[in-house]
Amino acid sequence: MDLLDTFNISGSGLAAQRLRLQTVASNMANAKTTRTEDGTPYKRRVPIFETAVVDPFGDALERSLSSVEVSGVESIAEFKKIYDPSHPDADGDGMVELPDINVLEEMVDLMTTARSYEANLKVVDLTREMAMKALEIGR
Amino acid sequence: MSTFLFDSLYTGLNNVLDLRSKQHALSAGNIANADTPGYKAKFIPFDKVLGEALHGQESVGMQRSNAMHIEGEGSLSNPKIEEIEAPEWAEDGNSVVAEREMARLTGNTLLYGAVVRGVSQRLAILRYAASDGK
Repeated sequence: MDLLDTFNISGSGLAAQRLRLQTVASNMANAKTTRTEDGTPYKRRVPIFETAVVDPFGDALERSLSSVEVSGVESIAEFKKIYDPSHPDADGDGMVELPDINVLEEMVDLMTTARSYEANLKVVDLTREMAMKALEIGR
Repeated sequence: MSTFLFDSLYTGLNNVLDLRSKQHALSAGNIANADTPGYKAKFIPFDKVLGEALHGQESVGMQRSNAMHIEGEGSLSNPKIEEIEAPEWAEDGNSVVAEREMARLTGNTLLYGAVVRGVSQRLAILRYAASDGK
């Protein structure tokens, strides 16, 4: 265990948050997408976060250190129907199937993602600061 | 290593540096997992660990009499880690509070710097003595 491990942990957090940002962007951009390759409207994407043990062979403390890992991105096949007979994809009753995406929810997700990203970045900063301090020993 | 040049205070300070950098890694892990469902925030209870070390009760865990022994939990070099339980209203069972972690992290960095200064001062005294007080 050293300070470089800490950089890796923060790096995993940054990567996970970036991926989450990408899914939010994709969800927002496709909030009204009715056509996809598999014939359904766009499915909302949700990244699944999981802990990953950094050093499974270390001592008790090292085994409890965990980075974060995106174990997958799930597509949620939930759609809402709205009435819009003028839409080319409307069915006989004039109902259109749209992805079940709440733009407000996505915005909140976007904000928490940005904050989490910032927090991880701050940790990288502090880790660097600590490493520099360690180099000062004996000066 | 000579106990004259590098006394217990010196090793003590080194232990604290080690603990602080471990706590730093724990906090980094906590923040990285701030959005992982079911993750519990982890930390080293410094007040307990250092208090016990101060009062010479390092033997809360198992005491090693040989370097080949497996290290027990609760010693200075292998401290017990505490986990924070998630409050009942936390939907995803995650107990990381960003503010608490950032505060812990900043304080930790500050104290790390303080101990580094302590070690440096200690070495400066040695250097002073080694150069005939010049």
